[in-house]
Amino acid sequence: MTRRSARAKNLASLLHRLIGQPLFRDRARTSVTILAVALGVATVVAIDLAGEASAGSFRSSMETLQGSASYEIHQVGGIPEELYGELARLPEPLTFSARVEGYGTVPGTRERVPVFGVDLLGDPMLRGWGGIDAADLSTLTDSRAVWVSPALEAAPGDRIDLIFNDHAETVDVQGVLQDTQFQGVSLGRMVLADIALAQRLLDRMGRLDRIYVQVPEGGDKDWAESLRRRLPPSATLAEAGIQSRQNRKMLSAFRWNVRVLSYIALLVGAFLVYNAVAVSVVRRRPQIGIVRALGASQRMVRWGFLFEGGLLGVCGAALGLPLGQLFAFAAVEAMGQTVESLYVSSAPGSVEIRPWTVALSVITGVGVALASAWRPAHEAAAVRPTEAMARARRDYVARTSSRKWAGVALGLAALAVALCAVPAWERIPVAGYAAALALIAAAALLAPQASATGLRTVERLFALPFGVAGTLGARGLTASLARTAVIVAALCTATAMMVSVGVMVGSFRETVSLWMDRQLQADLYIRPEGLATPDQSPTMAEGIALRVEQSPHVAAVDRFRVHPIEYGGLPARLGLGDVRVHGRRAGIRFLEGPRPETIWDRLTSGDSVIVSEPFSNKHDVHAGDTIALPLGPDDVRFRVEGVYYDYSGEQGYLIGDRSNLLRYLPDRRLSSLSVYLREGADAEVARATIMGALAGSHVQVARNRELRERALVVFDRTFAITYALEAIAVIVAILGMAGALIILVIDRRADLGVLRVLGASQRQVRRLVLAQAGMLGLISTATGCLLGGGLSLILIKVINKQSFGWTIQFHWPIAFLLAALAAIWTASFVAGVYPARMAAALDPVGVLHEE
Amino acid sequence: MKHWWIVAATLAAALGLYAFEPALPGYEFEFPRDHFEHPEFEIEWWYYTGNLHDGGSRRFGFELTFFRVSVERDNPPESAWDVGQVYLAHFAVTDIDSERFYRAERVNRSGPGLAGASRLKRRIWNGNWSVDWDFSDVAGSMQRLRALTEEVSIDLSLRSAKPPVVHGVDGISRKAAGKGKASHYISLTRLHAEGTVAIGGAAFAVTGSAWMDHEFSTDSMGPDQVGWDWMSVQLDDGTELMLYGMRDRDGRHGEFSSGTFVDADGRPRHLDAAEFSLVPGRTWRSRETGAVYPVSWSVEIPGLGLSLACEPLMDGQEVVSERGSTPTYWEGAVRYSGERRDARVAGVGYLEMTGYEQPVWLGLRSNGE
Repeated sequence: MTRRSARAKNLASLLHRLIGQPLFRDRARTSVTILAVALGVATVVAIDLAGEASAGSFRSSMETLQGSASYEIHQVGGIPEELYGELARLPEPLTFSARVEGYGTVPGTRERVPVFGVDLLGDPMLRGWGGIDAADLSTLTDSRAVWVSPALEAAPGDRIDLIFNDHAETVDVQGVLQDTQFQGVSLGRMVLADIALAQRLLDRMGRLDRIYVQVPEGGDKDWAESLRRRLPPSATLAEAGIQSRQNRKMLSAFRWNVRVLSYIALLVGAFLVYNAVAVSVVRRRPQIGIVRALGASQRMVRWGFLFEGGLLGVCGAALGLPLGQLFAFAAVEAMGQTVESLYVSSAPGSVEIRPWTVALSVITGVGVALASAWRPAHEAAAVRPTEAMARARRDYVARTSSRKWAGVALGLAALAVALCAVPAWERIPVAGYAAALALIAAAALLAPQASATGLRTVERLFALPFGVAGTLGARGLTASLARTAVIVAALCTATAMMVSVGVMVGSFRETVSLWMDRQLQADLYIRPEGLATPDQSPTMAEGIALRVEQSPHVAAVDRFRVHPIEYGGLPARLGLGDVRVHGRRAGIRFLEGPRPETIWDRLTSGDSVIVSEPFSNKHDVHAGDTIALPLGPDDVRFRVEGVYYDYSGEQGYLIGDRSNLLRYLPDRRLSSLSVYLREGADAEVARATIMGALAGSHVQVARNRELRERALVVFDRTFAITYALEAIAVIVAILGMAGALIILVIDRRADLGVLRVLGASQRQVRRLVLAQAGMLGLISTATGCLLGGGLSLILIKVINKQSFGWTIQFHWPIAFLLAALAAIWTASFVAGVYPARMAAALDPVGVLHEE
Repeated sequence: MKHWWIVAATLAAALGLYAFEPALPGYEFEFPRDHFEHPEFEIEWWYYTGNLHDGGSRRFGFELTFFRVSVERDNPPESAWDVGQVYLAHFAVTDIDSERFYRAERVNRSGPGLAGASRLKRRIWNGNWSVDWDFSDVAGSMQRLRALTEEVSIDLSLRSAKPPVVHGVDGISRKAAGKGKASHYISLTRLHAEGTVAIGGAAFAVTGSAWMDHEFSTDSMGPDQVGWDWMSVQLDDGTELMLYGMRDRDGRHGEFSSGTFVDADGRPRHLDAAEFSLVPGRTWRSRETGAVYPVSWSVEIPGLGLSLACEPLMDGQEVVSERGSTPTYWEGAVRYSGERRDARVAGVGYLEMTGYEQPVWLGLRSNGE
């Protein structure tokens, strides 16, 4: 007992002297390292938190009133309401609850408000809910009465103007719901109306969007099976909340991509911990020798330095957690926008720190720190007492038997290439991520050589503006090559991340832009003023198309209607297009199938569809295949005539001829109109005429150019989160460089002292350190550019393709890259300012005396 | 005479009273037409009660009621969901031996086939609670009653042993003073019931006798009436009796109380208020609502030489409203014993008592005029 406690005391004292005191003495270095780890941790935590908050539940706003239902029934194009009557009469102890769902748009602010139509009189699921006063039946005959959630901040008696599809309506607030939740689900902003009113407002006469089913508790009856037998094939029964699950499934690829990016930020932090601990080992070689000579075991030394790494990790994690929460507030909006524009309209939740979040920060922070400290700690343990006492080596020599490591690096690069050929796992491109990691590792292994070569190259370059300070700076960096290499690796990784994502997004943007140039051939586009969401498109009356056609400027009108559908367990969209116009005029490009003319001919002649590339990739459906869609009294089988390029959304598209599909989906309302003008017609004049003809209808008439511009704005908003992540990684790397330069200055203060004694001015010393910063920056950005190029290929050809299913044409966004690289390089100079000033301020006599 | 009056009147008033036909003397009844809905009248109900047994020792009572209240008469609906009629329904089962009382209520609009009383479909229904008429059998019409909740269900075939009885005088059953303060009131006083009662997964094959009331009217209540006591009696000598007492503010049955005696051959005899007395006996206090009901009664009809004691088969048969918009009342299976012209008689039936939980006349007075 006593022996053990004595040992513990010894160990504590050893840790204090060997680790604690030096860490405290080099406060600047320690702080920078901790900050770098903290930033990495914060990024990971922020992405996790923001992901949960903005899209974690991926609960569509439309599922707010799901309650304790077990199942839900859907039908493409809406459920005929008679089915609800039939279900209600089934002699089974089941409870059915009908919903009409949609959105109203607030004029002016363009905010979106979910609108729910429920059976206010009879809905058994809503009975007893402290929301609506059931006795207040008089309002049922009032054709404008609605109830609002408290979040909408309206009072009884208020009138609310909302745009529904292509018409504006005024509704009267009859009451404010007393609860802010429905069975545990926050209501958010919403409007509740009786089905009769909701059907009118949302143009859903005769249709229901959803029927919830509650089954008796207990018992072993297979209600799903029993219900399915009684439903027409066009109606699909699924477990309640299926949409949330589908969205979650679809979003998982997106979340993984963002998550992996955040891990790269952490990786950059890892290089810095490695560097910090490695430097500690070098600098405390004599002390290590002494404690070893005094009887400390190798294990104790190893644990000591691991403890140092762990300590940095713990501090980093502790700081990273609140910082991450702070980041998350910013990130949640950016991520929410991506989710909103690509996937599902869901109200963002709150940023909540849960036990898992704390665990995540500790695991990432401490884990990464320990892993990074492992090798330096091992090295420290290997120090022989005599060797240390001899003060033989002042620096650790990079153990880079260059040939061997170059071989390993090449092997890793080859592995990366091989991994690119491995298909995705559950739509998550695991192998792609591994390939990226392997490539980064290969680059890290090549860093010492690259640094050495780089330094030789830039030495001359820097000699011009910096003179002898440049030359000496380069030599100094070469002298401590191992450390230089780690810094280069860190900054290179961060740069590469920025470059690769930049190239990927740039390529994507260019691809989309080119695609739009080709695809969007119409002169004017008309759509309802109500806001579109990924899960619901507003509609307009067909009469609008008829009126547009009568305009003398108009040559042709393509009527288009979108119905959300479910295919293979994922949300998709079924488009009804006027193929005779669409096929001839829109510039659709096919990647599979016969000649376009043949495809268009076949589409008009029977049950045929074309599918988008993301749909084809997600469901492995190709030209010539036959797919079944639940549309009619029986599943309808469609032949896939072709696969076309589409970048309009991640949800896959199927498009068929409207005149044919109207047989199954008789709702003639339209989602959008593409208007082709006569030769020589002036678009602005035509627009004015058409808008005049459509006065009273709430529709938007956009010119081709405006539509493209708008699409690119949405695109950029979609990638906002990606840009934010890159910026963080670069900040981490720059911080790391500042830290590394501080260490370099501290380490080489004797040399700097000698230089000063030999007559170097403070200014020259400052310039020397600045030159070093510049060199590191230049080498890192150059190597980062190369690595980034490789990574971008993996991102575009493997990760994106596997995650989202679209083909991106490779494209260098030169301007973006030049700007980014210039920014990083400039930042690297800035990172040198403080260490340079520190170096210049050194008292030369003092530091020489220390030696 | 049913309590649903109040709900109906309240609802109709709340929803905006429209012009409907009053119940006037001289109405020509025609069957089966008059078994189904009369949308020209504001309020209508179909009321089934009965006493059942499983051949062994298990005895059950049931109540299944369908109400229709007109909200709008003239506007043709644009949408199936427009509220032209509100349909309400109550379902209760008394498990006498287990002393359990099951009750449920339902409110619906016609909607896309959610509820109705269609002559065309020969069906009266509210969700999956329904009565289906079958007129194909020459031996007489059949009705199939079905209702279920998660706990309890009934599925009964009813065959009427007697033709429909029209209560009152000259086609109307008067409820209060004034023109139109009456209803058209039809009963099937002896229905042979056969089928199944299921409670908590256990099914019982049952037989027994049931009673149907069908009544339609517009604004028939008087302002001073606080409630009523109603009873149906099926005696073992093949005769039946229906009595109701309209209670005034002082708690006494007023002049517009009346009844009908049906002899073994199905011939009805109208009884006016002076011809019978209803005297309350033992009371039972509801723990749930605090209301005190006289659950036993003695009935005297000197003109028929009939005196009966009415006792409930179970005290706790109170139908408590789940939502505030419907009243609470006592409706339960009862048994009768007594004498008719010096011969011992016994029987079963149902007893209904309204206006004990709160004075329903208030609602009526404010809405009825």
